[in-house]
Amino acid sequence: MPEIEEQDVLFRASQGDQEAFGVLYENYVERIYNYVYYRTGNVHDAEDLTARVFFRAMHHIQTYTDRGVPFSAWLYRIAHNLIANWHRDRSRHQEIPLSDAPNLHYKGEPPEIALLQSQEKDVLLKLIRHLPAERQHLLILKFVEHMSNAEIGETMDRSEGAVKSLYHRTLLSLRDELELHDPEENLNH
Amino acid sequence: MGSKIKKISDFSLGKITSMEHRLSGVLKPIKPRKEFVRGIAQRIQIKPRVAFVDRIANWRLIAILIAGLVSLTVFLTVLGRAIVSLANKKPNAHI
Repeated sequence: MPEIEEQDVLFRASQGDQEAFGVLYENYVERIYNYVYYRTGNVHDAEDLTARVFFRAMHHIQTYTDRGVPFSAWLYRIAHNLIANWHRDRSRHQEIPLSDAPNLHYKGEPPEIALLQSQEKDVLLKLIRHLPAERQHLLILKFVEHMSNAEIGETMDRSEGAVKSLYHRTLLSLRDELELHDPEENLNH
Repeated sequence: MGSKIKKISDFSLGKITSMEHRLSGVLKPIKPRKEFVRGIAQRIQIKPRVAFVDRIANWRLIAILIAGLVSLTVFLTVLGRAIVSLANKKPNAHI
C-alpha cells in the first residue's frame, strides 16, 4: 500500500472507522503471524497471539500517533509485549517442541535424510528462539520479510549501520552456538 | 599482520555466508490458515453501527407484526359483529 494511502487509512482507523482498521488488518496479518510464529514455535499460540495483537491494536488505535516510524513497528511492539507475557506465563512449563511447523519436511528426499534435515532445522529454530528478542526480530525481518537493513532500521528504530552490525554479531553468535551444540556439524559446512 | 586480519575477516565472512544459507532454509514465510484470517477479519469488521441498524430492523419487524395482529383482531371483530348483525336482521325482515 502506498504511504499516503496508508496514512489516510490509519487516520480513518484512528477515528474509529472499523472498515479502515480491517484494511490494516488485511495488510499486516501475515507479517504479524510470521513474527509470532517464529517467536513462539507453534501454530496454535501463533494464532491466539496474532488475534490478540489485532484486538489490542483495535482498542488502542485511537491513541496511535504517527512518529515517522512504520505502522508495522507499532504492531510489532504490541506483539513483542504479548509474547513477553506469554513466555513469562509459560516459564514454569516445559517447552513444547516445534512439531507442527507446516513446512518442516523436505519433499523428494529419502526419509532418513529428510529426518536429519528436519532435526537440524529444529535445532536451529530452537537456537533462534533462545536469542534475545531484538535479534530474533532482526532475523525474522531479514529472512521472512526480506527487508533491507535500512527498512529494518526504520522498523526497529535503529540506524542502518547498527542493524548491519547487530546482524553480523547475531549470525556469528548463532554459528558459535550451533558449533557448541553439534561440533561435527561444523565439519560438514 | 594485515594478512592475518584478512584471514580472520574471510573466516568470519565464510561463517556468515554459511549461516545465511542455513537461515534462509529455515526462516521462510508461512501462510496462516484462511479460516483463522477470515474469522478474525469478521470479528474486527462487526460494526456497532450495523448492529444498531439490525436492532432497528428487528424492532420494525416486531412493530409490523404487532400492527398486523391488532389489524387482524379489529377486522375479525368487525366481521363478527357484521355477521351477528345480519343474522339478527333476517327474521325481522319477514315480519
